[in-house]
Amino acid sequence: MRSLLRRKMAAWILARQGIDRIPLTLLRRRLYVLPTRAGAGFGLLLISMLIAALNYGNSLALLVTCLLGGLALVAMHQCHRNLLELAITAAWTRPAFAGERGSLALTIANESSLERHRVQIDVSSGGTASVDLPPRCTRRIELPVPAPRRGLVRIDRVRLSTTYPFGLFRAWTWVHAPLAMTVYPRPRGARPVPALAGAEHGHTDSHGVDPDEWRGLRAFREGDSPRQVAWKAYARGAPLLVKEYAAAAAAKRLFEFDALTGLDTEARLEQLARWIVDAEARGESYGLVLRTARLAPQRGPEHCRRALTALALYGTGAP
Amino acid sequence: MSSPARASPPALKPLAWSTAAFLGGVLLHFERLPLWATATAILCAAWSLAGHARRVRLPGRSVKVVLALALLAAVVALFHTLNGLQAGTTLLTVMGSVKLLETRTRRDRYILIGAGIYLLLAACLSRQSLLYAPLYAADAWLCCSALLAAAHPDSSLGNRAAVMLAARSLLLALPIGLIGFLFFPRLSGSLWALPDSGAALTGLSDSLTPGAISDLSESSRPAFRVWFDGPAPPPQERYWRGPVLYDFDGATWSRPPPWSFWPEMRRASMRPAQAADSARPSSTAHRYRYRIALEPSSEPWWLGLDTVVSAPPGARLTADHVLVGDGPVTHPITYTAVSDTTMRRARPLTPLTLRRDLWLPPRRNPRSAALARRLRRRAGSDAAFVQAVLDYLRTGGFEYSLTPARLGKNSVDEFLFDTRRGFCGHFASAFVTLMRAGGVPARVVVGYLGGEWNPVGRYLVVRDSDAHAWAEVWLDGRGWTRVDPTAVVAPERLYRNIDSFLPNAASASERLVLEVPWIGAVGNAWDAANAWWSDDVVGFNSRSQLALLKRLGIAAPKMLDLVWLLALSLVVWLAATAWRLGRLPHGARPDRIARSYDRLCRKLARAGVARGADQGPLAYADSIARRRPDLAAIGRVLLARYAELRYGSLASGSRERRLADFERAVACWRISPRSKNARASRGK
Repeated sequence: MRSLLRRKMAAWILARQGIDRIPLTLLRRRLYVLPTRAGAGFGLLLISMLIAALNYGNSLALLVTCLLGGLALVAMHQCHRNLLELAITAAWTRPAFAGERGSLALTIANESSLERHRVQIDVSSGGTASVDLPPRCTRRIELPVPAPRRGLVRIDRVRLSTTYPFGLFRAWTWVHAPLAMTVYPRPRGARPVPALAGAEHGHTDSHGVDPDEWRGLRAFREGDSPRQVAWKAYARGAPLLVKEYAAAAAAKRLFEFDALTGLDTEARLEQLARWIVDAEARGESYGLVLRTARLAPQRGPEHCRRALTALALYGTGAP
Repeated sequence: MSSPARASPPALKPLAWSTAAFLGGVLLHFERLPLWATATAILCAAWSLAGHARRVRLPGRSVKVVLALALLAAVVALFHTLNGLQAGTTLLTVMGSVKLLETRTRRDRYILIGAGIYLLLAACLSRQSLLYAPLYAADAWLCCSALLAAAHPDSSLGNRAAVMLAARSLLLALPIGLIGFLFFPRLSGSLWALPDSGAALTGLSDSLTPGAISDLSESSRPAFRVWFDGPAPPPQERYWRGPVLYDFDGATWSRPPPWSFWPEMRRASMRPAQAADSARPSSTAHRYRYRIALEPSSEPWWLGLDTVVSAPPGARLTADHVLVGDGPVTHPITYTAVSDTTMRRARPLTPLTLRRDLWLPPRRNPRSAALARRLRRRAGSDAAFVQAVLDYLRTGGFEYSLTPARLGKNSVDEFLFDTRRGFCGHFASAFVTLMRAGGVPARVVVGYLGGEWNPVGRYLVVRDSDAHAWAEVWLDGRGWTRVDPTAVVAPERLYRNIDSFLPNAASASERLVLEVPWIGAVGNAWDAANAWWSDDVVGFNSRSQLALLKRLGIAAPKMLDLVWLLALSLVVWLAATAWRLGRLPHGARPDRIARSYDRLCRKLARAGVARGADQGPLAYADSIARRRPDLAAIGRVLLARYAELRYGSLASGSRERRLADFERAVACWRISPRSKNARASRGK
């Protein structure tokens, strides 16, 4: 009964507000306010105080009761105001491997010179966080989102709420942004890594890097393995450089979905993820061949992300 | 040595705040609560705070249960009930104290603060003096601050900021308090019978025992205040009539008790006055219309100037012209009355009332009886007899004194023939006894005499110390006639306060007020403020509300009009507050970043490279580079700057600067027509 009511309510709010576009400013129309449990208790206290004051015909007690009643109404407005015109300037997700936790990141901006306190952010399927926002300030908040299975975790709605200042009312808003978190397959499997490109199938040389084939130093690029960094040079004051080896530059592998015979789809994807993560850690170039997609051999975090995303979305129908 | 630390120690700050809110409420009742209850609250607060600061161990469950039961038993043993204001307050205090020992969660803290608020309410119910008003306001402030601290213990709101925010919120709420105060419809009676407040209020007693010293109040507490519509009556006419006493047992004068074995007589004495009972003079020169603000007392008497013509609403006039309310005056009331100082009360005596008015206890005061008979024989008429007795009192060496000797069973004999020193009660008692012994119907009247003019508020304040007793005798052809034997002995009593003609009776502070003029002025102003407070604030009732409605222009005000006014002003307040709190400081203007970005996108779109709906700034830069390489360099810089402003975490200072730079750059960037031409020729 209660969950049904909740679903109806959520559907009604979604129909009322529509899908939101970020950046988004929280305007009056989308802010809701209701008393909290403490607020309901305060209301009962006020009612009993009112009855006592009226029964005793005591004007002073009535004044105090009405003053506190007015305070509750002020608290309602203050609570509403604590969210009003906050802006969600960006929202994005960080992908995760299945079984781990990904996250939803939001940047919330307080453009006004009003100090905001205890703004709480909840994700429908994940964690919660609280933030204080000084005047004219932007804060980035990361909320953990569990990643149980490979694929896409849709984040249907995010709630921003606050009970500040008196805890008697809760003001909140629902944000329905088209947010989805990619969940990569869990890197798992013990199949040997395919041979370097050009080598024949079956000939495995997973450690085909000959450390002696020195080619020189080049500038650090995002995604280079820390193992390759010329730390000694860096310590002497040189810029961050990377040692490049002939073999490393040349090493290319092709990971093929169809080559993994004898495994079901999920196990194959897990094995591919294992290889991709390992190859990336070693700084090797690798290509990926799925039935639906093909990635030319390359390396670096962007390539790795694309490869793992392809695995994550394989067979889910998502682009 | 130390116990293993729990996962999250309860924060001390919110606990301290909620404890303070509760203790504040307890201390408002300091002088009314039993001392042990206050001590329990303070000890439990100290214990709780020390326990949460890990200095001492907090009691276990069984200790708390035993403590709660023991305290409950103590309250029941003391009051024999849990009902009533004082018992309830004590119970709330001790139970809250036990609750202090197990305050861990936010809910516990809310409960403590709620108890504090309820104690504040109880304080308002039990005492409404102006002196306490600032204390009540401060306690409300404390409770609100505690509510803030208890609701969000881990917010960045500091103590000072919480206190200031509570003050601001209360100021914003003040209009609602006043609106409710003015327009909330009052009940005409009570929802349920109010238990006795247990407060020892002073007031006019309905008995008079001249032999006991304590009868004369020296308290300067105001008993009531009077505003006259016209001129005030002269001092010798300022007799404020209270209960009439008939029964005398030789030492004490009293009213016939309800269980009196003369039921008809009691009925007669409480029968409403009828027009035929009193012959009214045609002249209105001695008619006074006035408003009285009566302070609470333990008695039902509504005072009025001798003699009240008709009863104000809420009270009734008995056959002996006493104004009686429905019950004890538990809170300040205000009423308007009309009196006529020359009105004759000539209702013929019936045999029953005659017997009552002549009755004396047998075998008491024999010497007085003999004296009365002797004087009556010598006098030609009742009136002459009255005069003879007054002469006897004036010339018999009697002396007015606030500290007379104690008297025994034959109090009148001892006073008339031995001590000869006494105050109004002694003289009235002796006079009425002599009258009755001489065969003249007589009775004792208790009330107030005089009053002090307050030039600031232009009213007369009558204090407890103005309490007085006099006599009324029945004279043929004149009816009941007031005779004040004290005025014969000490005529100054009519014109001045007791204090001023008996200096040693006045306390040092009161003498200071009398002797230093500016202190007297301050005292007058303070009393005027008190009068305003108890009359217009504490005494604000449904009648005052209707009067207010009349002043607001509603010809025939009803209670329903109040409801409408209440709703209307509530709506106005809500709208005003929504407007006031809905405007954020500098927050209402549109987003500057978005404005400049939109401008940039519009410029680029005019140049033929519109942004795709799905393109973020960086993807947009890529697409510009493909489609308009000549715009790529600046476009990329501006779009990257936008991304940084929008999505980066920048300190507010540098953010402002960069935003201004961005706005300037977007504004000044002109897309040259040459590129357009070049593109057009390439398109061909």
